[in-house]
Amino acid sequence: MAIEKNYYTIDPEGKLKCFKCGVPLIKGKAKFMYLDNGFPVELPVCPVCGFVYVPEELALGKVASVERALEDK
Amino acid sequence: MSQIQERGSTHVYKVNKISKEEMESMVARCVYEDPPFCSAACPLKLDVRAFLEAAAAGNFKKALQLYEKIAPFPLILSAGCEAPCEGRCRLGEIGEALAVREVERAVARFGEQSRLGGIFRSKKRRTVAVLGSGLFALLLAGELEKKAYPVTVFCEEADEESWLRAAADFLDEEAFSLEHKRLKGKDIQFEFGCVLDRAFLEQKRSCTDVLCASWELTKRLFPDAVCTSELMFCEAERLVTGPTEGVTDAAFGAKKTALTVDRLAQNLDPRNTRGQEGPVESRLYTDLSEAKALDRVPCSAGGYSREQAMEEAGRCLSCHCEECLKSCAYLKHYKKHPGLLAREIYNNTQIIMGDHQLNKPMNACSLCGQCTVVCPNGFDMARVCHLARQNMVSTDKMPLAPHEFALLDMLFSNNEAFLVRPQPGFESCKYVFFPGCQAAAIAPGTVRAAYLDLCERLEGGVALMLGCCGAICDWAGRYEMLGQTRDFIDRELSKLGDPVVIAGCPTCRKELSGFVSASVVGIWDMLLELGLPEGAKGLDRPAALHDSCGARGDEATQRAIRTLAAQLGCELTETPFSGDRSPCCGYGGLTAYANREVAAEMADKCLERSDAPYISYCMACRDRFARQGRESRHILELCYGTDAGAPPDISEKRRNRLTLKNELLREVWREEPREMRLDYKLQYTDEARAMMDERMILTDDVIAVMDAFRENGEAIEDEDGLLVARRRVGNATFWVKFSLTDGGYLVHRAWSHRMRVEKREG
Ligand code: SF4
Ligand code: SF4
Ligand SMILES: [Zn+2]
Repeated sequence: MAIEKNYYTIDPEGKLKCFKCGVPLIKGKAKFMYLDNGFPVELPVCPVCGFVYVPEELALGKVASVERALEDK
Repeated sequence: MSQIQERGSTHVYKVNKISKEEMESMVARCVYEDPPFCSAACPLKLDVRAFLEAAAAGNFKKALQLYEKIAPFPLILSAGCEAPCEGRCRLGEIGEALAVREVERAVARFGEQSRLGGIFRSKKRRTVAVLGSGLFALLLAGELEKKAYPVTVFCEEADEESWLRAAADFLDEEAFSLEHKRLKGKDIQFEFGCVLDRAFLEQKRSCTDVLCASWELTKRLFPDAVCTSELMFCEAERLVTGPTEGVTDAAFGAKKTALTVDRLAQNLDPRNTRGQEGPVESRLYTDLSEAKALDRVPCSAGGYSREQAMEEAGRCLSCHCEECLKSCAYLKHYKKHPGLLAREIYNNTQIIMGDHQLNKPMNACSLCGQCTVVCPNGFDMARVCHLARQNMVSTDKMPLAPHEFALLDMLFSNNEAFLVRPQPGFESCKYVFFPGCQAAAIAPGTVRAAYLDLCERLEGGVALMLGCCGAICDWAGRYEMLGQTRDFIDRELSKLGDPVVIAGCPTCRKELSGFVSASVVGIWDMLLELGLPEGAKGLDRPAALHDSCGARGDEATQRAIRTLAAQLGCELTETPFSGDRSPCCGYGGLTAYANREVAAEMADKCLERSDAPYISYCMACRDRFARQGRESRHILELCYGTDAGAPPDISEKRRNRLTLKNELLREVWREEPREMRLDYKLQYTDEARAMMDERMILTDDVIAVMDAFRENGEAIEDEDGLLVARRRVGNATFWVKFSLTDGGYLVHRAWSHRMRVEKREG
């Protein structure tokens, strides 16, 4: 199996819980998409319902800077 | 809720060409890079400004370095130059022109020579011979040595000293011995005691690459020789030379000759690629209004002392055109030659693939038009940036993010918060009051008072239209949206029977006059006609009047406001940059949305003109000054005795518009508006409120998230037991961190991003 490059990885380390399903979030595969560009990442995900969590630091940091860069393409 | 379509992809490989002529004609208006008048007049192109600056600072070494670029023998040139620069010095118009030549002389005498040079430099391969003697031959040998040619001088004189004497017998002994020393230090070979006849010349021709001669020798050997003085070249004789007259001309001749040698050494036509030679006309602008008229530092026959030269050099005005940079915070921020910035912004629109690095400056200009007024040549950055924005929109390369909040706000003004009604009891009205979206957002109480007053005191009925004139999408370069907005307003006005529009804002007045069929006046015009309403009262302290950029070029409005202020009993202090020259508060052109840093600098720039409270006649100005902490009032607040108070945050600005609409519907038209009520309690920590304003997150966005949470129960729970829910609204995903309260929620934090996020299988 080809090893896929992930642009970003966050491991919830059992600190986050899905409120609806009552289970801890795990490190799961997710994808950011913007203006027709996609980026594979690993984020905290609920193993039951699939809720993908984007923490504040990530949103304001990496995500925001990639957004700015793509907007000026 | 209104939405705006985000562009679908970054992979759009399309550009809309801007014509080169159009671009050049706009860019070339800026004379920032034109040389100062002195340098323009100098045939040798001395950077006089930099030279004098170094001399004034006592850095004679640097000054001499600059001077040696044009003068291989500085004492010779400074002793005999006719100094055309002095004739063009702007100081001469108000006092005595700067004594450039005397400063040069002092620099040549006292300046420490830099060590490098001469023998240690690597040499060019092609060899050059100079035959004869005289000033031109000397200066030419010096120029060629500077260009690193192996130069040999063939002369009749017996030694170096007599060769130098033949060239510069006008030097005094001190100068002569200094130049003699300098000559010895140069890497020039000599053959003395030559018999300079035709045979000798032909023999040298056969063993040198380029042959030069003094003009006297040439005439002696070839009485019919003709030479073009541009090239300094006798083509028939293949001899590089030409006639010169006086020291300046000899130096200029030597310079042209050295260039011809360059071309010939490379087997190129000496006519080609010579660049601009000799004196030029400069269009530079120098503001002389603050320059002091002074006389020259007196100079004895022996020349200036070091200190005297420094003092005289210090009189230089250092001519620079920075008129627009002095007044515009945006241009100052980007600290670039404005013409160049304009060119880069144009070029930015023409990039087919890759980064558009100039998007930020393109969107940071407030399109206020101040530069065009203060620039002596009418340079128009607003037009450049506006055209560039439209161009980017047309090719679908314009990012939505910097302007989306403002555009959505405009849609809000023209949908949820829009209101149009004739005055009760009138089928068609003679007037319609159009206060403008910012007035309703920032000072709803003032708008209400103004409308009620107009209804009461004007004959023929006054309709009301609460909405946005379209300036927002105009500024964003969204011309399609602008067309739709104008059609919409036009339709609504025609339903009212095209009444006279009474605008509450100078920008609305300007925008609306551009397309509506009826006439458009300002509320200030009406108030002057009707007289001030009861309770009108000016400030009891002196205040500064800030002219709105929307009123630039609109002298009638500027005057009307001043009359109104006088009637109110306001004492206005004089401020620099008022009237047409007024800077923008940072709201114009959507700067406040696209670049908050520049917008704050703009507001500060406005406020640095006076410490007094500010009176303005555009609600956006009032708001931005208040946000910077200055006491700030709109003239209508004074007219109606209202006080809009502390500046509202972004959510309050929306709420104010809705509340105004609903209250007026109830009060004036006796209609019961449909109001949305939350069936749960939503509270915010102070931190959350501040954060939302900073991050442009509306309470409506938070409500959308909480509604979703109530429906689907989806959230995560963090270590501290706080919940985080999210929802996609339009082009962004909003996240809200909250805790449960009795009957509702307490919001702790909120953030958003524009990227979509999805689970990936595998
Ligand atoms: S005012 Fe500004 S734009 Fe006009 S010529 Fe001077 S530097 Fe250029
Ligand atoms: S902000 Fe105003 S003065 Fe400055 S460049 Fe833009 S239009 Fe000109
Ligand atoms: Zn779940």
